[in-house]
Amino acid sequence: MAVRGGRNAGPVRSDSSTMSADLHPGTRFPNLELPDHTGRERRLSELAAGDPVALVTSRGWWCPKEQRYMRELCRLQDEFEVAYARIVVLSVDPPEVQSAFRAGLGARFTFLSDAERRWIEPLELLERTDTTHRPFLPAGFTLFPDLTIHRAYNGYWYLGRATLEELRRDMREISRQVRDPWEPPA
Amino acid sequence: MTCVGWDGERLTVAPDLAGRIMEIDPRCLHGRAVPGAYAHVCALAGDRARLRFDEPEVQQVRRDAMAWWISLLGDSLVCLSMLAVDESRCAGAITVTLDPGWFEQDPFARLFGGTGVETDVFCAVAPPAGPVVERYGSVPWPGGSFTR
Repeated sequence: MAVRGGRNAGPVRSDSSTMSADLHPGTRFPNLELPDHTGRERRLSELAAGDPVALVTSRGWWCPKEQRYMRELCRLQDEFEVAYARIVVLSVDPPEVQSAFRAGLGARFTFLSDAERRWIEPLELLERTDTTHRPFLPAGFTLFPDLTIHRAYNGYWYLGRATLEELRRDMREISRQVRDPWEPPA
Repeated sequence: MTCVGWDGERLTVAPDLAGRIMEIDPRCLHGRAVPGAYAHVCALAGDRARLRFDEPEVQQVRRDAMAWWISLLGDSLVCLSMLAVDESRCAGAITVTLDPGWFEQDPFARLFGGTGVETDVFCAVAPPAGPVVERYGSVPWPGGSFTR
């Protein structure tokens, strides 16, 4: 699936998708409540804390594509740390596995664990072709601070995922709308 | 402005502030206090012990806090905050936990040596989500927000 458009531009879907019909630009992403990589219960809105968010669903630590993409996100964190933008990764790995994976990557952003699969079905993001792990479909969502979806990315095929340039662009577009003033005061 | 006082041995809060006065993330003191906690105060009592928030070593300890310090503390973490002396300079940081066993690992002790004290005045604050290490205005990291 490739999705265009932002909150102001209006949602545009370009094709049929394996994603939930509710997870499209202009709709509000559910305020997930899940343990983070330390086991502490977190709400997605609390993680956003007033900033734009790049939310990525991930198959899990074992997948080479996820390992590659997470390393890309770690490159981006060096910019986001000064850009007031957040990164959140959602997978079915247990917190202790996420914590080890995160440490190995050198990630400084939050992982949310849906090891109990509380959200994977309601979000309609179960990768049905993997009956062994029953993981999340790889997907990406750029979110306004209030969790309104700006863009959605279908990463079932690796090249469908948001590139770092696309994430930068989305964060800029969201920030332009929520940072007041965006232009420097006269 | 929410502050703590530190004389090198005693940690104080309003209305009994004493010693060196430093600003803290207000969430750490506004709410229900957690009894039986331990504070690791990585700050000195002297006014000249300060660093600019923008110094590379001050940025790096915030990265380390996000990368592994908060994870290491797990559920034991009550709250943490940089300590500000003005809009651009910090005097160190404070980490409050239910278990002082990890204090020797505290990355903030690389800025200023740490002292552990018992405390009953700090509130539980959700740790920062990351990866943001910049301050929101002049509020001590990780506090503040640009939300109106």
